[in-house]
Amino acid sequence: MSGGVSGTAVGAPEHAAASRGARRIILLILQGLVAVAALVILAGAITTQGFFSLDNVQAILASVGFVGMVAVGMTVIMISGSFVSMSLGTQAAVTAIFFIWALKFGVAPAIATTIVFGLVIGAIQGYAIGAFGANPIVLTIAVVAVIEGLVVVFSSGGTQTPPDNAYTFLNDTHFGLPLSFYVMLGVVAIGELIMRRTRFGKQVYMVGDNPLAAYVAGLPMGKIGAGVFGLAGAAAAVAGIMLGAYNQGASLLLTGSLTYDAIAATLVGGTLVSGGKGSVWKTLVGALVIATITDLLLLRGYSNGVQIMVKGLLVIVVVIVVHLRSQGRPS
Amino acid sequence: MSETVDKTALISLETVSRSFGAIRAVDGVSFDLRPGEIHALCGHNGAGKSTVVKMITGLVQPDEGRIVVSGSESSIRSPQEAQELGIAFVDQELSVVPILSVADNIQLGGVSEPFFNRPGKTRGRVRELLDMVGLQGLDPSDPVSGLSMGGRQLVEIGRALGRDARVLVLDEPTATLSTAEIEHVFSAIRSVAATGCGVIFVSHRLDEVLELCDRVTVLRDGKLVDTADTSAIDVDQLVSMMLGDVPPAAAPSLPEQGRAGRTAVEVSGLAVGARTRGFWLKGDHGHVYALAGQVGCGATEILRAIAGLEPTATGNVVIDERRLSLGSPESAVAGGVSYLSNDRKGDGLFLGLTAEENLVSTRLDDVSRGPLLNMASLKKAAVGLAETIGLAPERLPEPAENFSGGNQQKIFIGRTLDRSETKLLLLDEPTRGVDVKGRMEIHKLVRDAARDGTTVIFASTEIDEILDLADDIVTMRSGLVVGRHPRSEVDAELLLGEMTHGQPEKVPA
Repeated sequence: MSGGVSGTAVGAPEHAAASRGARRIILLILQGLVAVAALVILAGAITTQGFFSLDNVQAILASVGFVGMVAVGMTVIMISGSFVSMSLGTQAAVTAIFFIWALKFGVAPAIATTIVFGLVIGAIQGYAIGAFGANPIVLTIAVVAVIEGLVVVFSSGGTQTPPDNAYTFLNDTHFGLPLSFYVMLGVVAIGELIMRRTRFGKQVYMVGDNPLAAYVAGLPMGKIGAGVFGLAGAAAAVAGIMLGAYNQGASLLLTGSLTYDAIAATLVGGTLVSGGKGSVWKTLVGALVIATITDLLLLRGYSNGVQIMVKGLLVIVVVIVVHLRSQGRPS
Repeated sequence: MSETVDKTALISLETVSRSFGAIRAVDGVSFDLRPGEIHALCGHNGAGKSTVVKMITGLVQPDEGRIVVSGSESSIRSPQEAQELGIAFVDQELSVVPILSVADNIQLGGVSEPFFNRPGKTRGRVRELLDMVGLQGLDPSDPVSGLSMGGRQLVEIGRALGRDARVLVLDEPTATLSTAEIEHVFSAIRSVAATGCGVIFVSHRLDEVLELCDRVTVLRDGKLVDTADTSAIDVDQLVSMMLGDVPPAAAPSLPEQGRAGRTAVEVSGLAVGARTRGFWLKGDHGHVYALAGQVGCGATEILRAIAGLEPTATGNVVIDERRLSLGSPESAVAGGVSYLSNDRKGDGLFLGLTAEENLVSTRLDDVSRGPLLNMASLKKAAVGLAETIGLAPERLPEPAENFSGGNQQKIFIGRTLDRSETKLLLLDEPTRGVDVKGRMEIHKLVRDAARDGTTVIFASTEIDEILDLADDIVTMRSGLVVGRHPRSEVDAELLLGEMTHGQPEKVPA
């Protein structure tokens, strides 16, 4: 899995001719580091008891389900040039609560209304960002506070529990993997299709590459922003449904570090922080790389602190490599 | 012209030359600046003015020749070294920081500025500088954001003086100012010169040059034409010095079939801000109109207003009998306007996306079925456009940033071509930074677009381009229209005269 990332990073820059010496050296060192790290991980993987067992591979794949879904939305947001949404994890939690509550109307209506609910929450934020130039980070942090406040007001902050067991098929396992993994693959496929094969997807790349040019060219900035964050909200709602089902109930505490993990997967997948470049399936690769390394550290008995630190270092190295490579453009 | 070097000169250039690649931008130019003198630097686009200014201010170095500052030969390798030699530069683009106070702006960026600011010590000095530039009534603690463009210009001049400048270089300081503001700036420049400072004044506006300056140095094609006392020449002589021997103008190259038509576009009473007012134009199908004027003449603002990019614009724009809302680019595009700015890298191309994506960026609807793209017809449209603009279709998957300036401009223009929705094509400096061959190709593309019935309005500062491309020419100056002429009735001299010192049309109040 780590081969995927080192492969993208080491690939020779096409416009190396225009790059300056110092940057090339830093880039070479960092790419060397990535290669060394990949070898260390490989060596670690070979010498670690049980890493190559079927059970372990299944555990790694199963662990990327929830973060993968949220990361799809995060990727679309970052490609659109709006950096990140700090509220996707909280949106997953509030849609989980909504889903568990809505189960009393039946499973299918609950799923449909939850996705629409997530889409609307996202689209409202996205319209403000696209049409009025609201700062996405500030706005989404504020949205976290608003959502948490509303949930506490309406549910007193307790855990919502399902009325019956009709939903439990969402936790079924097929071919050794939980349903949430397959749902995640579906969300990735839909995200990839939208970004590559629709007019909207092309417009998202345009806005991300040069928002001023997109505005001058007359693109509907508000609609595109609403679409981007609406899509991310819908994906987070799917994650919320699966999370609610998995935990057999939902509260605001459900999602933990989901927002940060989704940002990390997006960055490790090579999406350009400033927008315009990246892809949904590469984010899935990023999520799998993080999951594999985390799993390896876990098997070798490293503490939670070490796992978090390694994740952070990985993000830093990839972000710098991606940044330096994108700076290699001739101006 | 002064052949011998004046020992008392503040700065003298001695046969300096500078090439960029194969182009000799400045070729053996000499002139000097005396204490207390206001010295104009004139020349048409590409004459070498800005390269000379860059040599004096340390942004580029001469390949040949030498620069003597206060009697000793100096190499000015950076703007910091220029500052240490007492040379201060006020750029065309203002570099004041609006949210900081006037006093902070005046102290900004000085090499002698202490790390920790001591306001008590500097207050008296700031007051003195503000008085010198005619801002007696201004409180130094006011933010610059409250000042007019002219006030900001004066603060910049004050900042330059605060660095103990002996030589003050002003590049087009009046390009965006109103008449009253220009008077303020002029009296500031005069009082600066009265202290013994030398001022180099770069301007396109010839009447200003004659009014303000003591001597004028004229450049043409990188070479020195002459340095003359302004009292000894008039505007017409200055114009012919700038133009040299003009070859007889080429016959209009447009096919006659493009000329017939009915009114397609009607602009009336268009105003942007306080300067650009009373603009009107009746545009026929298939016609190419030039808005001819120097930097700051208002043509850019007119095009931006029609494209929906000037929120304060007022007036009427009617395209095919439908009134255009001037509020947003989105509504302008919906009304049939295609606009290309003069800054293809800033707000034009999507540099990180491929040539193909750029070419189809404005016609995604045409290559979609519902929300889904039809990849085959997208590809076909892109290949067709690549052929139209003369780009090898194999290069379509390359990012736009990989292309040369000329090819980037062709991609930029290509995205507006073959679009049935485009009724009015607006181009601001359509061939800026493009070589001669690319320029001819781009002109042909624009003419072809007009032949298909599109109305084209372009803004240009370049006489050759205006004469080569336009059917009808509107000259502008200081935000107002000066004259309107069919192409067949103008020559370079008339155009340059109107662009630099023409009397504007009256605007009804």
